[in-house]
Amino acid sequence: MSFEEFQNRARLFVIGALEPDEMAEFENARREFGEKAEAFITECYALSEAFALSLKPAKASGQIKARLMEMVKNRQAH
Amino acid sequence: MKSQKPPPQEDDEGEVLDRVPRSAAALPSGAPSDLELMEGIQRENPEALSQLYDRYNGILKALILRVIHNEAEADDLLQEIFMEIWNQAKNFSAQRGKPLGWMVTLARRRAIDGLRKKQAYARAEERLQQETEQQPDAWVHNSTEEEILDGDRRVLIRRVIGVLPPAQQQAIELAFFRGMSQREIAAKTNTPLGTVKTRLELGLKKIYYGLKELRDEL
Repeated sequence: MSFEEFQNRARLFVIGALEPDEMAEFENARREFGEKAEAFITECYALSEAFALSLKPAKASGQIKARLMEMVKNRQAH
Repeated sequence: MKSQKPPPQEDDEGEVLDRVPRSAAALPSGAPSDLELMEGIQRENPEALSQLYDRYNGILKALILRVIHNEAEADDLLQEIFMEIWNQAKNFSAQRGKPLGWMVTLARRRAIDGLRKKQAYARAEERLQQETEQQPDAWVHNSTEEEILDGDRRVLIRRVIGVLPPAQQQAIELAFFRGMSQREIAAKTNTPLGTVKTRLELGLKKIYYGLKELRDEL
């Protein structure tokens, strides 16, 4: 697999769209390209970030944060 | 987990996403960065979680809603996800990416898992089908005047995505927001598997470079 092909697969990988039969080949190429591959995959996660940022923020129930912080407080108390 | 961030790459794609937008919005002067908040959570400081929640609950709720299409379930899941952020913060490594990317990946996975576990998939599919029929380009519709006046990054990112042909947008939306495999997308859209793969690869590549240009403009 060329590095350009690996880049195409990496973009699919970060959005969870690699097929199972493509995964083994991708992982082999990932090992072969080493740190260069890891750096590219890390950068590709910005695609996921952008997809989330493309959505209009939604309003969460006001109770959610209070419940969350209460759970954290209880967790720390034990 | 890798302990070292590899050096910048020399190929033409390697530097692209270094220029992708880094946070949801410009932070007020003196506000802690996302990374500083994550480090605070790693030190088990509840105030850091509180601030991270205030900063990103709207984006993560929107992401969850896009997957499960249910307000009450989305709120419950949002709470669970922030609790998981608190519990799993020690697994976050800045060498592997930025906090928002980590949170989005976690939230998306949880939302898709939740969708499948609750066996709401068929119902959501039906709702998605109805939405698709009513507004085929619902993910990236034309910006309203209010959104344009906001002038925020969301509008600019949507513009990048909006340039894609509808079939490429649809393939990416089904993969990312619905967690569908290429085969599932092929079946749902009655399209050959190879065509779905090509649409995904081309679409993602265009967005990748579109984000680079966007970053250059900002």
